[in-house]
Amino acid sequence: MAQPVLEISQLKLHFFTDKGRVKAVDGVDLAVHEGEIVGLVGESGCGKSVTSLAVMGLIPQPPGKVVAGTIRFQGKDLTKASPREMRRIRGNEMAMIFQEPMTSLNPLFSIGNQLVEAIRTHRSCSKQEAKNMALEMLKKVGISRSGILDEYPHQLSGGMRQRVMIAMAMVLNPRLLIADEPTTALDVTIQAQILDLMKALNQEFGTAILLITHDLGVVAEMCDRVVVMYAGQVVEETDRRRLFRNPKHPYTQGLLKSIPKLEEQKKRLYSIPGQVPNPLGMPKGCRFAPRCEFAFDVCGRAEPQLLPVEDGHLSRCWLHQEREEGRGHEPDHAIAQSQ
Amino acid sequence: MVKTEMLAYTIRRILMLIPVLIGMSIITFAIVHAIPGDPAKTIAGEKATPEQLQEIRESLGLDKPAYIQYFHYLGDLLRGDLGTSLITKVPISEEIGPFLAATAELTAASMLIAVFFGVNLGILSAWRQNSWWDYSAMLIALIGVSMPVFWLGLMEQWFFAQELGWFPSNGRIDARMEFEGITHFYVIDSLLRGDYAALSDVLMHLILPAAALGTIPMAIIARMTRSSMLEVMRSDYIRTARAKGLSEFWVIYKHTLKNACIPVLTVVGLQLGLLLGGAVLTETIFSWPGVGRYIYDAINSRNYPVIQSGILVLATIFVVINLIVDLLYAWIDPRIQYGKE
Repeated sequence: MAQPVLEISQLKLHFFTDKGRVKAVDGVDLAVHEGEIVGLVGESGCGKSVTSLAVMGLIPQPPGKVVAGTIRFQGKDLTKASPREMRRIRGNEMAMIFQEPMTSLNPLFSIGNQLVEAIRTHRSCSKQEAKNMALEMLKKVGISRSGILDEYPHQLSGGMRQRVMIAMAMVLNPRLLIADEPTTALDVTIQAQILDLMKALNQEFGTAILLITHDLGVVAEMCDRVVVMYAGQVVEETDRRRLFRNPKHPYTQGLLKSIPKLEEQKKRLYSIPGQVPNPLGMPKGCRFAPRCEFAFDVCGRAEPQLLPVEDGHLSRCWLHQEREEGRGHEPDHAIAQSQ
Repeated sequence: MVKTEMLAYTIRRILMLIPVLIGMSIITFAIVHAIPGDPAKTIAGEKATPEQLQEIRESLGLDKPAYIQYFHYLGDLLRGDLGTSLITKVPISEEIGPFLAATAELTAASMLIAVFFGVNLGILSAWRQNSWWDYSAMLIALIGVSMPVFWLGLMEQWFFAQELGWFPSNGRIDARMEFEGITHFYVIDSLLRGDYAALSDVLMHLILPAAALGTIPMAIIARMTRSSMLEVMRSDYIRTARAKGLSEFWVIYKHTLKNACIPVLTVVGLQLGLLLGGAVLTETIFSWPGVGRYIYDAINSRNYPVIQSGILVLATIFVVINLIVDLLYAWIDPRIQYGKE
């Protein structure tokens, strides 16, 4: 396969706080290829947003610091890029949209002002040319009224604001769009529209998308490949079909089981027992072990590695690694029961 | 806000000034009349006979009931007659102009200093929060806000005027300089006449009192700017601005500052009002012929009409400044809807 647009390897980003070192991202590997939509899934606080902000270079340092690993964007290591180089890439070759469309646009500047600014930061063109570009892009995201440029964010609904954000991110035709929970704050019907729009833009421009979400429904609809994160680490990575049909990691299995299903008339919904570990005191061994129903003695002692279970399917779990190393545990049985 | 809405709002706010101004005239009238002492005695002097005093009272209408006196006074005000100074016998509306101009010039200069240094100090400490820069800037602000203006003025005079001799110690302009006021704003006058020697002299006279007067507002503005900037810098739209690839300068001075400036503007408006009225100490120390001194002298000489009208004029300016600040809010923030109240 060709070189990925974005390739994160062994990224460790820690926050140095008064209470101690928070390992928000601890050895993450992730790749996004040209034209691909990759889902980054996990609970709140698992490090998925921090990973994406690290790619954009938007983690305030201090307290945050990349302590190890690389973030290669089109072959260039962003962890070594100067602030000036990062500014040239941000909003130009790589753009980002955020969870909260209601607060992501500056309330005191018109839509036109904010879009024109995004364009003219990176392209030398006249205001009028930039305005035309902005209008054209706004049409592509489904806002075709001509007065839009003079309107202010408070005059638009959440869905419309997210469209404006997408237009602002896509107007310079970036190679990579990072979307951090882009539909979480929106109504379900609007969610579907925004997702369709992103998919359409992905197909039209071939923009790679890194889609951060906790919503597996969104993943099912959008993504080619999925990366599941837990407590600062990638625990499973595979394509969408395999993730839903044959999840390997107990955490992913738990996530899938937590989706309510109509045909099952259960009184209580399933939830993974226990809580996300405190980032200041990660458990020894596998980080998921304290909550895992399949945990056995190794899990509490040593940390499993992210290794292939089969071709194109990685999992960070002793269940599979034990089997490969032939230590006498029978994981298939357990997994079959869980499904 | 839409332009017509803005215009309607402005007109409505100006109309709303009328009851406020009437209220103020009642209060100033009442206060002056509550002050013990007899204006007739002030005019006629210590040795006047009771007949003479009575005559003066009648001529001034002081023998009539207070409410009649008030309506006379209000009628005069509406005709633009602020009364006549008991001492100089010159109409106050003519006399007060140069004093007002002197105060306005001093106030404007000190506000310029206060806003420029205050806002930038605030930005610096917010931008580098909890750093050495932040602590130094806030220490300067703390010292500034704790320094009594009369003490600061005297220290400035002693150090910069007397010891170093960099600036003149008092007055508005060198007494030997031929200078005829047109607007009574000396900076504007000297510019209008293209007299740059006078301009530099006027500016040199302006710096020390303006710095003394501007220090406290500067400190207050710096603190306000810092806290307001810190709040705005945490917003999502600031992250968006950075995500666009904007330079730090634009992120701070365009996206953050405009959002942070509304509370700062409120402080600026209030301080401006306080400076106009509260410049008495500074004006006294620097022999600045301003309206504060004018009223202060009037109080010493029981010059009732001057006290009354002087206070009324200052109060009116204060109200108008606050109106302008309110209008600026709407101009800055398109979300503010004054149409529906």
